[in-house]
Amino acid sequence: MLYTVNRHLERKAKLHQVMHHPYFGFFVLGFLLLLVQIIRISGVNIPTTVLRGLGLTMIYIIIALGFSILLGYAGLASLGTAGFVGIGTYLIGYLTNAKGLSVSMILVIGFLGAIAIGTIVGFISLRIEGLYLGIITLGLSEILNEVFKNATAITNGTNGLLMNRIVLFGQYYQFNSNTIFIAIVFILIFVMILTLNIMKSPTGRAMLAMRNSESAAQAMGVSVLKYRLLAFIIATVYAFLGGILYMTYIGFSIPTTWNLAFSLFVLAAVIVGGSQSILGVVLGTFMIFGLDLAVFQQIPLFQENPAITFILNGVLIVVVVMFYPGGLARLITNLKYKITSLSKKLMKKWKAFKYGEDD
Amino acid sequence: MFNETKFWNTFIIIIASLVVVYALLDIIVLRKLPKRSKNQNILINILLGLGLLSIMILLIKSLGMFLFLQTILDKVLSISVLALATTGIVLIFKTSMTTNFAQGSMATFGAFVAARYIIYLTSTTTLTEIQKVFLAIIASSIVAFLLGILIDVFIIRKAKYVTSIGKQMITMGLVLVISGIIPIIFGVLPLTIPRLSYEIVPLTIFGQSLTIPRHSIYAFYITMIVLVVLFTALRFTKWGLGVRATASNETVAKMMGVNTRIITAMSWAIAGALGGIASVLAAPLGGQVTTGLMVSYQVNGFMASILGGFSSFGGPLVGAILIPLLQGLLSYFAFLWQNAIVYLIILLIVLAKPLGLFGKKIAKKV
Repeated sequence: MLYTVNRHLERKAKLHQVMHHPYFGFFVLGFLLLLVQIIRISGVNIPTTVLRGLGLTMIYIIIALGFSILLGYAGLASLGTAGFVGIGTYLIGYLTNAKGLSVSMILVIGFLGAIAIGTIVGFISLRIEGLYLGIITLGLSEILNEVFKNATAITNGTNGLLMNRIVLFGQYYQFNSNTIFIAIVFILIFVMILTLNIMKSPTGRAMLAMRNSESAAQAMGVSVLKYRLLAFIIATVYAFLGGILYMTYIGFSIPTTWNLAFSLFVLAAVIVGGSQSILGVVLGTFMIFGLDLAVFQQIPLFQENPAITFILNGVLIVVVVMFYPGGLARLITNLKYKITSLSKKLMKKWKAFKYGEDD
Repeated sequence: MFNETKFWNTFIIIIASLVVVYALLDIIVLRKLPKRSKNQNILINILLGLGLLSIMILLIKSLGMFLFLQTILDKVLSISVLALATTGIVLIFKTSMTTNFAQGSMATFGAFVAARYIIYLTSTTTLTEIQKVFLAIIASSIVAFLLGILIDVFIIRKAKYVTSIGKQMITMGLVLVISGIIPIIFGVLPLTIPRLSYEIVPLTIFGQSLTIPRHSIYAFYITMIVLVVLFTALRFTKWGLGVRATASNETVAKMMGVNTRIITAMSWAIAGALGGIASVLAAPLGGQVTTGLMVSYQVNGFMASILGGFSSFGGPLVGAILIPLLQGLLSYFAFLWQNAIVYLIILLIVLAKPLGLFGKKIAKKV
């Protein structure tokens, strides 16, 4: 008897441990996304736009996670995201089409390139701060956009660059967007785990200290140079990765995609969700990009009036920034707290009613 | 007419030598940015001035006087529009401490109203073209004025405790809302705004016979009148004093009896009105009135204000004059690349002078 009780408690404790493990949510999200593919394979007809919307949302989550480290942890607002993502897309597009390099090689090149560009922007950010930095990175993004438009030899100019196959282990593959979808799910889980580890590590805490007060952080021995560079490098690496995935998934990149609006949408996603939590970033990205791409485009009312999505998104951003400065993540934690306290209160009342008022 | 390769060689040599000299100075002498002495600042200013001067001389020499002057005259309209847009952005930055992304959208809304108003005037009255467009400019500025007041009273005033990046996000949300509302109110049919005049005026400067569209001349006059009135108001009226007080410290200004609410609301309204005028003047260039009408002007406006420095009103105006001018002049040498080159030059200048050409360092207590 005692033995079984112990086993039961043990199992319960283990379940609790698994449920409250920080990675649990990531795997649940990954499983849910995989479930969509499983349902599709089992024969249910899911519209391609929904699948495409979900896949794109995942890619944008990766980009937004990098940005949340930059904004939420290092406190640097950049509007150059679009340019960096654009570089990622053209990098893989050009290298695959013209040079026939394999994906692993391109990833390495992209990683090194992202480090170089992140370092440059990081050095700029040492000089220029706050809103000025936002505008300067906006200028940088505009320069990159002009390059995408005019360097026709590499980017195919305003017609857009098409890439319909990738090289893997020295062989050409015509890729299937559903296979890429599954790959993106695993990459997303990996990136989320990586981001959480960066956020909770001494690096993340040092960045947080720097964000709250630069002088205090410096006095405590945090090197502003090092962590600013690091924050920009992380954000740029994530943006490049996002770009490479985008090109692999969609197979087409055009300069008009990588404009100011894209950078602003990423910024909006991070702010609306809550810049310091992964859950928030996921929710925010889904709100800003996902709802429009995967859900609204299925509803006839929104199909006929695309303007309504704009208004909804705009109102959402304004309301969240004005009334919920912590973003949706804070809102959810508050709600959770309120529900648990309410249920506890009700439980107490129920017990008092059942057993009499003795405790 | 001009030797392109020679131009590029000289251009690159000038830029590269400036960058090298600056980098050496920066590494050896001025390593710590906030603690520049007066002499070091003068040194940098001289360096920048030399750079700009040599670029200008190079451009004049390789283009020839005729093309140089003609480009300036061609760019009068862009300069006027950009000056109006930039002043609006700076005005809002001063009072609300945020970069207003909705500046262009407010202006575009005004332009749509103007286009509709012109159609209405055409069907009901028998006014001449120039009278109609002039009335449309007034209508557009009034609508954008009211829109600015609405935005401030209902949104920005309520968001007093939001950080400046948060406020930036709010203005971005407003961009989405306005660009969603426009097709609902005005329909999707293409709207156009005619020019004030389609005449082209011959002009003789320095013995060169040049031409300029009359529309540009009118735009220049309107801009000059508006800006002179605005700057006079900023300098000599109580409102201007209030704006400057609010810009320097909002809390203290409030304590000293400045009604910062009205000051901020008026700044938003005037910024909107400036945009409204600018958009109607700029609309004929692109043909149709679209929601993306003012986007390029807005980006250029941001760059101009950062080039001149947000701390003064005159600095951004210099930026607003320099940017279209350089774009126009460089387009002869590198067609399509002029924007990228201009932005790159601005980036280098701002790296050397983080607060802009005419910016002043404001000491901050930590």
